[in-house]
Amino acid sequence: MPPASIQQLVAFGFFAAVAVASALATVIMRNPIRNAVGLFVHVLSLAGLYISLSAHFLTAVQLIVYVGAVVVLFVFVIMLLGPASEAPTDAAGRLPRAIGAGAMVAAGLFLASVVKDLHPDRVANPPGFGTIESVGRQLFGPAMIPFEMASVLLTAAIVGAFAVARSHHGKVSMSTGEPADGSHR
Amino acid sequence: MIIHLGHYMALSCVLFSIGAAGFLFRRNVLISLMSIELMMNAVNLTFIAANRWQSAVPSADGTAAPVIPHDGHIFTFFVIAVAAAEAAVGLAIVLAFYRLRKTVRTDAADMLRG
Repeated sequence: MPPASIQQLVAFGFFAAVAVASALATVIMRNPIRNAVGLFVHVLSLAGLYISLSAHFLTAVQLIVYVGAVVVLFVFVIMLLGPASEAPTDAAGRLPRAIGAGAMVAAGLFLASVVKDLHPDRVANPPGFGTIESVGRQLFGPAMIPFEMASVLLTAAIVGAFAVARSHHGKVSMSTGEPADGSHR
Repeated sequence: MIIHLGHYMALSCVLFSIGAAGFLFRRNVLISLMSIELMMNAVNLTFIAANRWQSAVPSADGTAAPVIPHDGHIFTFFVIAVAAAEAAVGLAIVLAFYRLRKTVRTDAADMLRG
């Protein structure tokens, strides 16, 4: 076995194990800050898997956008909500939800057993695959219009998030959610 | 044992099903949003893995160097952009919902119930 494939095997095994374990932690933990830490480790391990697929540009994007923005946003909201972010659970309706979740896991494992033998002839990794230059050429060539649409989407998301999260000082009663002055906006 | 496309696809199936199960089972809005992020990340992994084993296409006139396809990378880039927008709007909705109901339980969101 050539050393390169051993390296690949070790890298894939390590990052795959960390990704599965941290995904389980993200879903199972009770305290939301631990879920957020699970998500943090998960996106880091996926960045490692992207490197093993020689997707250098997307590794950087994954680290900047997910680790730098999305997870931090989750942590901000958890801090803002404080203890209330840990929703109390009750047993009512737990069985149907458990059946649904179990069915999803069973379907996922079945699909995994189906696709695990996919074995295409490996193409040689051409020099420049996945680098910022080669992805950027596609991004500003064939994908130019969607790229500009993404900027419109992000602007709309910023404005929408601001409009939704903005607190209406004195207009909404904090206890009931009804407008404090009796009028409906 | 050589790592191939199938291994990445199987891992991605497992990660997606963990995210979907979490979305179905947990009642905390924050954890539902995190489960959506898990599912999007699993899909991104399939895109990048499939792109890794995508063969190069010859250029149109057959003389220049073959074009290296980066379709999966481009798709993943846009999925990440949409996921970031979704996280921002989703967490803003969580804050507005908490301001109304003082809880983050998903089954407390019954304001539109007739």
